[in-house]
Amino acid sequence: MLFKNLFLGTFILFSVLGCSGQKTSSKPTINIWHWMTDRDPAFQELAKKYEALTGVKVNFELYAPSDAYSQKIRAAAQGTNLPDIFGILGEKRDFASFIRAGHILDLTSYMEEDNSKWKNSFFAKALAVNEFSPQNSYGIESGIYGVPIDIMTIQMVYNKKLFSQLGLNPNRPPKTLKEFLAIGPKIQEAGLQGLVSGWGEVWMVDCLANNYAFNIMGKDKVLATIRGEVPYTDPDWIRVFTVFKEMKESGVLAQGLVTMINKSAEQLFANEKAVFAFNGSWCVNVYKGMNPDLEYGSMLPPAASDKYPMSIWGGAGSSFMVNARSKNKEEAVKFLAWLTGQDQQAYLAAETNNLPANKNSLSKIPEVLAQFARGMDYATHPNVWGVSEFSLVIEAFDRGIQSIIIGEKTPEQVAAEVQKVKERELAKRKAR
Amino acid sequence: MNQTIYYKSKKVLVNTLVHIFLISVAITCLYPLLWMISSSLKTQDMIFKDISLIPHQFRLENYVLAWKGGGFGRNFLNSIIYTVSVVFGIVIVSSMAAYAFSRLRFVGSKFLFVMFMAAMMIPIPGSFVALYVLLNKLHLRNTPIGYILCMINVGLSTSIFMLKTFFDKMPKELEDAARIDGCSKIGIWWHVALPLSKSVLAVVVVFNALAVWNEYILALIIFDNRSFMPLQVALQSFQGEFVTNYPLLMAGLTITALPIILIYLLMQKYIIKGVTQGAVVG
Repeated sequence: MLFKNLFLGTFILFSVLGCSGQKTSSKPTINIWHWMTDRDPAFQELAKKYEALTGVKVNFELYAPSDAYSQKIRAAAQGTNLPDIFGILGEKRDFASFIRAGHILDLTSYMEEDNSKWKNSFFAKALAVNEFSPQNSYGIESGIYGVPIDIMTIQMVYNKKLFSQLGLNPNRPPKTLKEFLAIGPKIQEAGLQGLVSGWGEVWMVDCLANNYAFNIMGKDKVLATIRGEVPYTDPDWIRVFTVFKEMKESGVLAQGLVTMINKSAEQLFANEKAVFAFNGSWCVNVYKGMNPDLEYGSMLPPAASDKYPMSIWGGAGSSFMVNARSKNKEEAVKFLAWLTGQDQQAYLAAETNNLPANKNSLSKIPEVLAQFARGMDYATHPNVWGVSEFSLVIEAFDRGIQSIIIGEKTPEQVAAEVQKVKERELAKRKAR
Repeated sequence: MNQTIYYKSKKVLVNTLVHIFLISVAITCLYPLLWMISSSLKTQDMIFKDISLIPHQFRLENYVLAWKGGGFGRNFLNSIIYTVSVVFGIVIVSSMAAYAFSRLRFVGSKFLFVMFMAAMMIPIPGSFVALYVLLNKLHLRNTPIGYILCMINVGLSTSIFMLKTFFDKMPKELEDAARIDGCSKIGIWWHVALPLSKSVLAVVVVFNALAVWNEYILALIIFDNRSFMPLQVALQSFQGEFVTNYPLLMAGLTITALPIILIYLLMQKYIIKGVTQGAVVG
């Protein structure tokens, strides 16, 4: 009797739970999966506005953190259960694999309607991340496959109050590497921390090193190096490595920088213990939460050479793609066009402190955000270079810089080691 | 006389060292918990500025905001349903399977047992995409029943291993006596094996309840509908890519931790006994 009741109870429980998943609605609904926790309330608000305007219901579903979101998107792609609109987090090759599998709609024709009105409303560099050029190395048909929702740049920030304390002009951050290095001894004397950043998460070291590579040798030579036409032992590359040695020796870098995670770096800067930080434009929101009274400004990394302009990483911060198999794809495109309109972008920027992707929406954003946005003129990103460096070379490159900072290796040694890895990888590729 | 003083001093010294060690271990365990509670009562900027455990101002409203903002009501209920269903399923299936592996002789029993044990070695995230595809084919994706079945499957191997270890050591005479009294195989499992394995079952219950209560990645992957999500997924809404709302996250974590601490406290005496009887001896 007891067993009978037990199994009957289990059956009823499972049946009830199993049936509760079925819901039907006659209203047209656009489903969007996103990972942007900080933007969710603003998205929900915009969804309500859109429904009031058009009668089309937009359902933003938040799946955070981003790692889990990526797994969900991959799993959904396998089961062809992707929503109408989604994002892809990862490298351009991941993006390309989704397009190749037929999951992403080519938006070029929509972007180019009305004399490219929609396309021209974006920062060109923000769109470039979602664009595949003719004869790209991924084998994707040229076109625009994503819509940037916001943009980001990675630059330096400096604490204005600490600048005054060090006897420096808070409205004139260092423009050259020489000026920057001269601040090192003053920082040491005052017992402060210099430059903080998440260099424990090595990609940020890679980012600054690439900024200096573009500044010292220019874009063409950097890309030629990636293609294997210029060795890393070239004097220009040794100069790039030497920049980090000079920073270390001048005392302008914070203690423990090579193992520092970005959250710790942000905390040190927000608590006014560090004079400089190398961080992305998302930091505006982070610092606001940690210390609303923080007085700081953004600046380009100080130039090591006047031969080429300083370059920074930037482009689309977050982008949305339309599911090519969705029955609501036309509605989805219309919604994205509305979402990236001037007013909606200004609203998103004001609510979330992210830089708008629509270049016409910059007028009403805070000054520090505008400073970051102005950095878009100098922005580049590995995803738009059309060539990718081998992962093992990137790793050797970044670890090498860390070794230089901790005084383990010289720039020449690191250059030789990176070149060795590069030659090995090139030989492997040739053998394939 | 000198020898007595020597031994007494030695004992005091050893005791002091042992206590210092235990106190430091206890602090290591308790500090994160205290930090969590303390941070749940602070503002975002105070968490980064004020490192003391006692906040200058107690912001109890963080709990209300976390409950409302994270949509905890529905998710809390979901977590309770999932935890109860999964633990119930695991206890029934694993105890039956463990009893069968321990007492019944059938062809391929050893092979099957090895297969179950091998499943313990597979990292759970590695099977997510496969599980997703399987549930999709069975039309169980985005349904609570699909999630419950997956989680029962995840917890079976370890539970079977622990219970089988216990049943192997159980005196056969007890079963013989039950058989003489007219018990069937199921009857022996229910009337003899299960009551005797109470302490091991307590460990199985706590370990699995903890695993289900804290699980969120599988839920996030297989559910599209937010109303099916468990509590842990709601917690993630306070954690952004770059910005984390620490006061609400910590308040949410405190709310989330309470039921599991309660279960642990209620079953504490069985757990210690169970771990020593089942898991360690095996």
